[in-house]
Amino acid sequence: MNHRGDTMTDDGGSPAPLLAGRGLVKAHGRTPALRGASIALGAGEILAVTGPSGSGKSTLLHLLAGIVRPDEGSVTYAGQRLDRLPEQRLTELRRTDFGVVFQFGQLIPELTAVDNVGLPLLLAGASRAEARRRAGEWLERFGVRGQEELRPGELSGGQAQRVALARALVTGPEVVFADEPTGALDSLAGEQVMTALARTAREAGTAVLLITHDAQVAAYADREVRLSDGLVLPAEVAA
Amino acid sequence: MSTRHILLGLLEAGPSHGYDLKRRHDERFPQARPLAYGQVYTTLQRLVRDGLAEIEGTDADGGPERTLYRSTGAGARELARWAGEIAPPAPFVANEIFAKVVVSILAGGDPAAYLRAQQDAHKARMRELTAVKTDPGADLATVLSADYALNHLDADLRWMNTTAARLTTLTAEVDTA
Amino acid sequence: MTRRAPGGAMAAEARLAWRLGRGADRREWWRAALTAAGAASATGIAQTAVALGSLRGQYHVSVGGGLLDRPGERAGVVLTLLLLLVPVLGFLGQCARVGAVHRDRRLAGLRLAGATPAQVRRIAALETGPACLLGSLLATAASAMVLPRLWSAPAPAGWAGLALVALAVPVLGTAVAVLALRRLVASPLGWVRRVRPRGGRGARYAGGLLLVLLSVLAAVCGARGRLPLAVCALVVAVGAGTVWLAGGTARLAGRLVARRARTAAALIAAERLRDDPWAAARTHAAVLLVTVVGTGFVGVRQALLADLHRMRRDHRLGMPMAFYTTGIALAGAAVLVALAITLCGLAVGTAESLADRRRSLAAQIAAGVPRAVLGRALLLETALPLLPAVVLAGAGGMAIGTWYAALTGPGVVVPYAALLVPVLVYGCCLAAAATALPLLRRSARPAELRYA
Repeated sequence: MNHRGDTMTDDGGSPAPLLAGRGLVKAHGRTPALRGASIALGAGEILAVTGPSGSGKSTLLHLLAGIVRPDEGSVTYAGQRLDRLPEQRLTELRRTDFGVVFQFGQLIPELTAVDNVGLPLLLAGASRAEARRRAGEWLERFGVRGQEELRPGELSGGQAQRVALARALVTGPEVVFADEPTGALDSLAGEQVMTALARTAREAGTAVLLITHDAQVAAYADREVRLSDGLVLPAEVAA
Repeated sequence: MSTRHILLGLLEAGPSHGYDLKRRHDERFPQARPLAYGQVYTTLQRLVRDGLAEIEGTDADGGPERTLYRSTGAGARELARWAGEIAPPAPFVANEIFAKVVVSILAGGDPAAYLRAQQDAHKARMRELTAVKTDPGADLATVLSADYALNHLDADLRWMNTTAARLTTLTAEVDTA
Repeated sequence: MTRRAPGGAMAAEARLAWRLGRGADRREWWRAALTAAGAASATGIAQTAVALGSLRGQYHVSVGGGLLDRPGERAGVVLTLLLLLVPVLGFLGQCARVGAVHRDRRLAGLRLAGATPAQVRRIAALETGPACLLGSLLATAASAMVLPRLWSAPAPAGWAGLALVALAVPVLGTAVAVLALRRLVASPLGWVRRVRPRGGRGARYAGGLLLVLLSVLAAVCGARGRLPLAVCALVVAVGAGTVWLAGGTARLAGRLVARRARTAAALIAAERLRDDPWAAARTHAAVLLVTVVGTGFVGVRQALLADLHRMRRDHRLGMPMAFYTTGIALAGAAVLVALAITLCGLAVGTAESLADRRRSLAAQIAAGVPRAVLGRALLLETALPLLPAVVLAGAGGMAIGTWYAALTGPGVVVPYAALLVPVLVYGCCLAAAATALPLLRRSARPAELRYA
């Protein structure tokens, strides 16, 4: 599958976006998180979603990444309705086409850095040696050299987050979902993580959905939309 | 910003002429407003007048004749004094955005719309600066000067956010005053 | 600073513990219920042992096929009951660990808020103590009603013993819980950063020393011809060895498999073992103890029955055959009860390890790691270290059985039927661990991603 030829579009533009959510409604118990949000992500586009805490940013990411199904509305990825795919197919898709980076906690604490990064490759059927070799390359690229055999708890926050980034990117995904990737980091470590993410995504043509409440982090995107009261506010004019 | 001290600083590296100084200034302080050549020239003359710099000689080097300047002992002392002196932290609150909001309220305009437009412009500029700094070829000086501007724009943005949220109260206050 | 009366401080801590308990989630209530159940079994077993131990001389007890009527056999039964306390205490320890990570954070929060280590220890005790007390009281009430019906007049000493047990079990249970929280109490940051304290060397050396002492004791007793005591000492010695063995094999299996793992499930399981081989060592040690005793028992039983049949043929039996077979059946029942308790502990432990990792597991699911892989990793975490350990424990049990057969019977007879025991125990353990799998589906939900 190659969607890289698609041009970047604005919400509602004519060429089909790579990933689109339309009229998304989701409630947690009785609390509505999203009330009809629509959003579109072009191939290779870095899109920031900002908004105050509790505005439904993370829920939007979970819906678009096929982690949670919407109560109403549709999620379309490369022409297929994610909200209708069976769970097993979704899991596979998340592993092959998507990468996720959370604020923290997506690394397995007991695995070494290199094994954490190699895990998606191992799941995809690569040999252990091959997985470790390719994982090592990514770690080196993200400046985590010499720490391959350390466990996440032994790394600094910034290093651990760069390891998480490597794990999200190692399979060459079409879309990376990043939920407050610098939320637990100081500004310098955050800048290193964001620079690594933005550069790699631009080089590889990977689309990024970036959830953040920080304007300086959002500035790494090509475009920014705001979530307010469960709705996506009209997209800004792209810079 | 004191142009004379920056030029003095650049002269500390060794004698150079006006054009060279301008080029090195623009290189060292990327994203800053570039120095005008005329400004460099007058500043150098004032430095010589005050005894902080002196003329080393002229060199033709095949092209037009150029005057070489170098720093004096007094210049080095003045530079050290200035470099160690703290910059007064925000002595006056000069805030054009705030002035526009207040004027807009007085004139019965739409301050909220103005703030939104201003925020969008700020964000667009932030994306621009971030793109400059994430470019693989960007050197540290570029990154740091972009960071400086980004932090200030971010502070403006945050201020605009809280101001937008409190516009109603502000309007009532301005209108009754 | 004003110093409050100790009573007032205690009351304040009790109120705090009560509020923490009330505000707690369902898992806390599970912990309380399991702790109470464990305490109730411990009390019941201990009180039965004390009641039997308090009897002097010849008695007529209406149950037990005459086995409880004479002091000699009674001593054996009491010893069996006391041995049964070992898995029960292990189960109690496992219960104290339910919600351990969550509780770690909460108690660490108290430390950060300025509570002294002593205060935190008292609050932790107040959280566990009442549950133990409740279980112990329930069991005592049952004993008080049942025991007097079984024989005519319990001695005052017997009643005092029962009361002592009723009090000792909650105290012991609380002490175990406080001991389990000792690391946390020292540091206000708890285990926020998961760098495990290395060490535990002292405990291992102590275990080794105990093993040597017991072996010496067994040899001495055996040499003096006190056979039952020698068998018991040997059983305990092998058991103590298995505690050490359980952690050792977990570490070894983790190291070996981690290096060679080709699948994600094996890698995750092995690295978890390598990271903390002692996490499940207590439960696994109980499994091994049951394997040793069970395998040994089946061997001993075979030899004993053969011996008894020979004696009956020769009309040398002092008591009716039923007297001996009831004794053997009772011992077998004790082994089965121990196995059941151990399997409960294993199931609780596996469920607990899942519950504590909810957020991490949810993140793996979100990143596209199939649930099946995580489930296999969970099972392998039990299967990998137990395989060599159960094989060794089975061999130990076989040695006991064969040795006993050699002592009592003519020539060396290897009780091959006993070989089934380790296989069965291993299968039961995997089944017990698998009972936690449905929990994996429930706990690894994306909703967990929303809380830090």
